[in-house]
Amino acid sequence: MENLKWKKLGIIFNPKKHETPEWMSEFAQAPHVLPFDNFFRVYFSCRPKPDANGQYVSYSAYVDLDANLNILAISPQPILALGQLGTFDEFGTYPVSVIKEGEEYRAYYAGWTRCDSVPFNTAIGFAKSSHPDAFERIGNGPLISYSQDEPFVISGPKIRRFNGQYYLFYIAGCKWVLDNGKPEPIYKIRLATSIDGIHFEKVNKNLIADKLSEDEAQASPDVIFKNGKYHMFFCYRGGKNYRGKENGYRIGYAHSTDLINWERNDDYVGIDVSSEGWDSEMISYPHVFEMAGKTYMFYLGNQVGKEGFGGAVLENELL
Amino acid sequence: MKWKRKGKLFDPTNFTLLNGCTEFAQSPQTIVFSDFIRIYFSTRNRDDRGEYISLITYIDMDLSMDKVLGQAEQEVIALGELGTFDEHGIFPISPFVDNNDIYAFTCGWSRRVSVPVETSIGVAISKDQGKTFQRLGNGPILSSSIHEPTLVGDGFVKKYNGVYHMWYIFGTEWIPKTSTEPVARVYKIGHATSTDIIHWEKEEGKQIIPDVLNKDECQALPSVVFHDGLYHMVFCFREATDFRKNPKRGYRLGYAFSKDLVNWIRNDSALADIANVGSDDWDTNMMCYPHLFSVNNKVYLLYNGNEFGKYGFGCAALID
Repeated sequence: MENLKWKKLGIIFNPKKHETPEWMSEFAQAPHVLPFDNFFRVYFSCRPKPDANGQYVSYSAYVDLDANLNILAISPQPILALGQLGTFDEFGTYPVSVIKEGEEYRAYYAGWTRCDSVPFNTAIGFAKSSHPDAFERIGNGPLISYSQDEPFVISGPKIRRFNGQYYLFYIAGCKWVLDNGKPEPIYKIRLATSIDGIHFEKVNKNLIADKLSEDEAQASPDVIFKNGKYHMFFCYRGGKNYRGKENGYRIGYAHSTDLINWERNDDYVGIDVSSEGWDSEMISYPHVFEMAGKTYMFYLGNQVGKEGFGGAVLENELL
Repeated sequence: MKWKRKGKLFDPTNFTLLNGCTEFAQSPQTIVFSDFIRIYFSTRNRDDRGEYISLITYIDMDLSMDKVLGQAEQEVIALGELGTFDEHGIFPISPFVDNNDIYAFTCGWSRRVSVPVETSIGVAISKDQGKTFQRLGNGPILSSSIHEPTLVGDGFVKKYNGVYHMWYIFGTEWIPKTSTEPVARVYKIGHATSTDIIHWEKEEGKQIIPDVLNKDECQALPSVVFHDGLYHMVFCFREATDFRKNPKRGYRLGYAFSKDLVNWIRNDSALADIANVGSDDWDTNMMCYPHLFSVNNKVYLLYNGNEFGKYGFGCAALID
């Protein structure tokens, strides 16, 4: 089977190139598309400038694009407020995945809290709305939290609906490794299923086999159904020293017929870092979707989206 | 209810404890063996930065609780790995005997930045009659959820009519700090059930014991015993702020009973005999972290006194 062929389109949206509010100073991370009749909305996560201690908070927002990828609108405020004192999402809401259920919009997001021995912890929260511009939590706690086999860093939710069931792909941390004394999280791709989108049953299984080593970290499990099977695009990195080109994020691929058992085949993915430019050191957080008969991938480049997200269009068929 | 005070049972400052701990014997909880009682509790040490770390140990006492027969000689349960829910302490630990298996439900502590701590409940198993416990997984079995946003802890388990019942606490909010008070937590008593000890069904944000102080009443350490046809619960409660040194706002013991494990009727006056009035004693300023258990069908209550158990725990016996 011929590997995928992508034509890169460059950066699609970089907050720094627009008049954006202070809370959207930089970063456009983890793009996720929700189609509407006359445009399509890309949810992403962004940040104000860091505080005096160099620490960030993150908000989620959107940008609306037309079919030619021209920007129509940028969200005037975050789609969700930060959580209350001491709660799981007090310091960030990143990333976010939105699905429409009847007349209701539902957002699944990772909430960030700050810890003492490690820099952060995350759990997956849930918010909903009757319109897709702003969401409200249904409670102050997380929807998917830590459990026996998923002790910390529950993040990166991607909600999908297949065959009358909800599938929430996400990541769960399995250990913190020390890189020159600094704790770095290792996480793997996981799945939980639900009938109503609120009560989830964890599958408690690593879906994707490691390629680099057992300290490979995997993120952004993005699943699309096409030509009779499920295709997952995700990203992965080395356990240490991953903020540069050498061990930085690359995009991987796996396919499945039952959503539980996945066959990894990164060769097929057909996209890699560029020799120069905005995505020359790393590529990550892929989101693959179809629009007007074409298949696109939005993804992040160097510094995991600090300069925004870019895109590529598929030139052959996803088989 | 008629209770008889037996006074202080154990003062950790008079013993040389495991791990070099010299003070605190918090939240005593028991396993009753045929010829002795093993009483687990949390002691405290300080880490490299001078911060408290809660560690588990136990003493063995004779069945009449008149003398200490021995104490733990090796680490009872290790703290969790880097970044896990029980990395910075276990307090309390609640042993649970299920036929031939000995489990312990742990309340693990993990430090935060904007608030001091977050907690979750873990489970561990012992293969050596409760001398040591090994955790089942690095993560918790009960943690925060949509309507129980923080501070899930203090798990206490009993099996009644083929179902495992857990009483525990969950945080409802953190009150921001003021010029005189640090951030303050509010927590309530909840209930969950299980058929296998590992997977629990919460009632999701349902407070089962009504407040008597105000809506910010903090309730902790639920402990339940079945006796004379009723389920009896003893717990402790306090005001949310200014509770550490002000005896009027500090922990006191509360009581509730139930016929069906669903509806609980609160009646703190049932413990009136235990309250020490008049004289200055080890438990005059504070009474907290209660544990109900029975030995040969006689009901006892262990609890901590002043300063959250810094100087040990005492006992009361149910007479009638």
